[in-house]
Amino acid sequence: MTLQLGREATLAFACACAVLIFASFAPAFGTAGNLTAILRNSYELWLIALGMTLLMAMGAIDVSVGVVMGLSALLIGKALAGGLPLGAVLLIGPLAGACIGLVAGLIVVIGQIPAIVATLGLFGVFRTVIFLGLGGQWLSGLPDTLTRLILWDGLFAPLGLLVIAGANLAVWTALRATPYGVHLLAIGNDEARARLMGLAVIRIRIATFVISGALCGLAGIFYVAIYRNVTTTIGANIALEAIAAVILGGTAIFGGRCSLLGTLLGVLLLRILQNGLLLMGVPSLWQTVVTGGLLLAVLISEVVAGRLSLSRRRRQRT
Amino acid sequence: MKTLAKALMTTAIMTLPLAASAQDTPSVAFVPQLIGIPYFNAMEAGGNAAAEDLGVEFVYTGPVDANPLDQLQIVESLLARGVDAIAVSVLDASAIAPLLATAEAQGSILFTSDSDAADSGRPVYVAQATDEGLGNQIIDQLVERVGADAKIGIVSGEATASNLNAWIGFMNARAEAEYPDLELLEPQFAGGTAERAAQLASDLMAANSDLDAIIAVASSTCPGVAQAIETAGKIGEVMGAGYCSPNTAREYLKSGSMGFTVLWDPGALGYLTVWAGKQLIDGTPFEAMNEVPTFAAPVPYDAETGILLLGDPFVFTAENVDNFDF
Amino acid sequence: MKALRDNLVLAMLIALWVGLLALIAVTQPDILSARTLTSVLQFSTILALVSIGLGLVVLAGGAGIDLSVGGVVSLSAVLAMLAQSAGMPAQFLPVLCIGIGLVLGGFNGLLVTRLALYPLIVTLGTFYLYSGLALALTGGAALAGVPDWALAFGRGKWGPIPLPFLTLVIPVILLALLIVLGTAWGTWILAMGNDDRAAHLSGIPVDRVRLVLYCVTGGLAGLAAFVSLAWLGSARPNIGVNLELEALTAVLLGGVAITGGRGGLTGVLAAVFLVVTLKTALLQSGINTVWQTGAIGLLLIVALLANRFSLSKG
Repeated sequence: MTLQLGREATLAFACACAVLIFASFAPAFGTAGNLTAILRNSYELWLIALGMTLLMAMGAIDVSVGVVMGLSALLIGKALAGGLPLGAVLLIGPLAGACIGLVAGLIVVIGQIPAIVATLGLFGVFRTVIFLGLGGQWLSGLPDTLTRLILWDGLFAPLGLLVIAGANLAVWTALRATPYGVHLLAIGNDEARARLMGLAVIRIRIATFVISGALCGLAGIFYVAIYRNVTTTIGANIALEAIAAVILGGTAIFGGRCSLLGTLLGVLLLRILQNGLLLMGVPSLWQTVVTGGLLLAVLISEVVAGRLSLSRRRRQRT
Repeated sequence: MKTLAKALMTTAIMTLPLAASAQDTPSVAFVPQLIGIPYFNAMEAGGNAAAEDLGVEFVYTGPVDANPLDQLQIVESLLARGVDAIAVSVLDASAIAPLLATAEAQGSILFTSDSDAADSGRPVYVAQATDEGLGNQIIDQLVERVGADAKIGIVSGEATASNLNAWIGFMNARAEAEYPDLELLEPQFAGGTAERAAQLASDLMAANSDLDAIIAVASSTCPGVAQAIETAGKIGEVMGAGYCSPNTAREYLKSGSMGFTVLWDPGALGYLTVWAGKQLIDGTPFEAMNEVPTFAAPVPYDAETGILLLGDPFVFTAENVDNFDF
Repeated sequence: MKALRDNLVLAMLIALWVGLLALIAVTQPDILSARTLTSVLQFSTILALVSIGLGLVVLAGGAGIDLSVGGVVSLSAVLAMLAQSAGMPAQFLPVLCIGIGLVLGGFNGLLVTRLALYPLIVTLGTFYLYSGLALALTGGAALAGVPDWALAFGRGKWGPIPLPFLTLVIPVILLALLIVLGTAWGTWILAMGNDDRAAHLSGIPVDRVRLVLYCVTGGLAGLAAFVSLAWLGSARPNIGVNLELEALTAVLLGGVAITGGRGGLTGVLAAVFLVVTLKTALLQSGINTVWQTGAIGLLLIVALLANRFSLSKG
């Protein structure tokens, strides 16, 4: 596992710059209320992007994560409205997500269909299921049981933030302290060789889909907690945002390189920019333009910087 | 699970094609801007009631996303199926216009309801309220509650929705003409998702610490805006308002995160749409005032603009919201 | 037998299509009419143009994909109409649409070939950039003012065949097939898709071919933008929304391997017509539109699974 300190440092620097610029031009940006709001708006994306980081390190892209979150949120919402005990409600989300992840994993791994293709198909199927499940009525104004739990501030930080930190820590430990991390990256580097090396490729790949699915389900809990509604368009755009954040974070797609910290910072940078631009009076329609421009700028500058240093080294040698 | 099964069953029933009986009973279709949202579902329910009362067959079908090409394809397929009268809540006026000729050539009638294509030559537009009336009403109601020197944010849905943009235009016109001290911020567009609406509303509140109210223009943005106010702990400071159905807004009206919502009865609009379709099929001209079954008051028709007007919208508040179910 | 196996996807699509038609013929014969044909062809136009380009990019391998096609369609339409209202003579509208598309596609191509960036990432960025710009430049409003001659072109018919299909899609299909089957380009594209490095070593100008393919995809998306202008009578900043997903579905359903090197344009076109016919048939039999997305998603998965398992058996 290459430690992507370069990218992470760049991202942290970019976040800091953005914060400084926004804070000096828009006084409201630096207020405690706004900073908490930025964090709160990042919750689901953090969880979904965490799973996406693992998938992409393995060389798989899942475009159905948003609707998987939506489907879990639908079940959670129904359970909550139906008055199920809190423990059951909390269990339903990750469990449903893990089951869906298992289905996706089986199709991709056993059926040997590229992940992006299979999940494109599943995206359509799950959207239909959400439509039918809602039956034309939105869930709206759901009980605030989960809200109070996720935003509970009894410890030194809101419980939701601690859960996200815990999830990241758990994944990081799995990557670092168990063979899982090395195997995952080996598959991402070269699946055929990983198989020849005798790795349990099939099991690891399916397991990663299940983990990502469970994280989407967990994101469903956060979604219901924070927004307290489920509508038919739920999660429609989140997959592309997650992919963008993971790429920003320096995880190499198809390259077997993975950075959890990078993903965390990537999500944060996206959300800071969206929030800060609006606070500076830039109309919200420009936000997607900025997201795309930022993604391209990071990629281009990295290549250009790499070439410059390469040619400098060459010159020094001669 | 039960609901899913029920949904599956209703869909299965709905999928039964226009039966042989379609030959003798006249058929009226309504094509919403998108399906799966409570507002248009209520219109469908109203349409079904009217169909039963008036003895017509009612078809309800629309695109899954608010996509003008998909809507066009649906209208074309309804024409091909030989539906007698088709009402469309128009997404793209210029795209619908050429279909009027097709409809006429085969003896079908194409008209608009809920969202108009004014210059297309459609025979009638069944309007819920005028765009101007809706824009004015929300501003007047807000001023009554937060004062005439307030600062108000606007969160809309798709930037491409012409009817929403028209309402925003009239809000601005009203504020300019009547309340010079009222400050309306630039509208922000959330697209179709509730989470984006919540994100934008929370950003707006952060950007303007002196914000007094946020208007949720698209019904899909209502829950997001209200929830953002609640989560930010700004109930009492910032008032949510918008064009939302009572069922969507109920909990938020009661919690105080929404002060009021403005909406007509979409069920009545659906009923009126099917009634108008029946009149058009029968060739009965509209009068200046029309008696419509189940309607308490007669419905006015403006021959010059060809608009059949449902009437004034309701204002829903915490006090009266429980009297309504749509 | 080998021919069948090679063209399994195509055979399967045609079988599905015939099956679908037979089902309709038995249950609802009224749907089979010249009019339905017109409708299917008209609604295939934009999707076919975009899918041909995307299909070529994917075929050529190197992890080739273009997620920005929908954004290119929207932005070309918007920019061309803005140019017209800024005083550009209206007769340049089609050329301008294609030109803008070429430039936007070329930008993708340059980033992919010169900077060796992953196509998926590049085009995800330009997807945001292009579709965002189309919305931001117009504030979401549709730009009217398409000249009448263009409207006649977009909405006219020759018999049951829509004019844009007859004058644009058919020539483009023929030209593309001619180039792919009749010139070295076809072999090059497949060779690149099979093994990029080997293709490079055997003297194929890999980067140049790839750059041209991205330009072509952009140009075809620009052409699709012109069709949308001529058809709808206005430039809609969201006209290309979801087009990348639909086109990708058609390409993959048509048997093009996502890794490149396997598949062909005939399969892609068959998939386009199958998808549009399926949608039309579902609509005309009055089936709730909710089922469309699910049915097409399921079709994609089942078709690929069937293909995979039949291949591994044979």
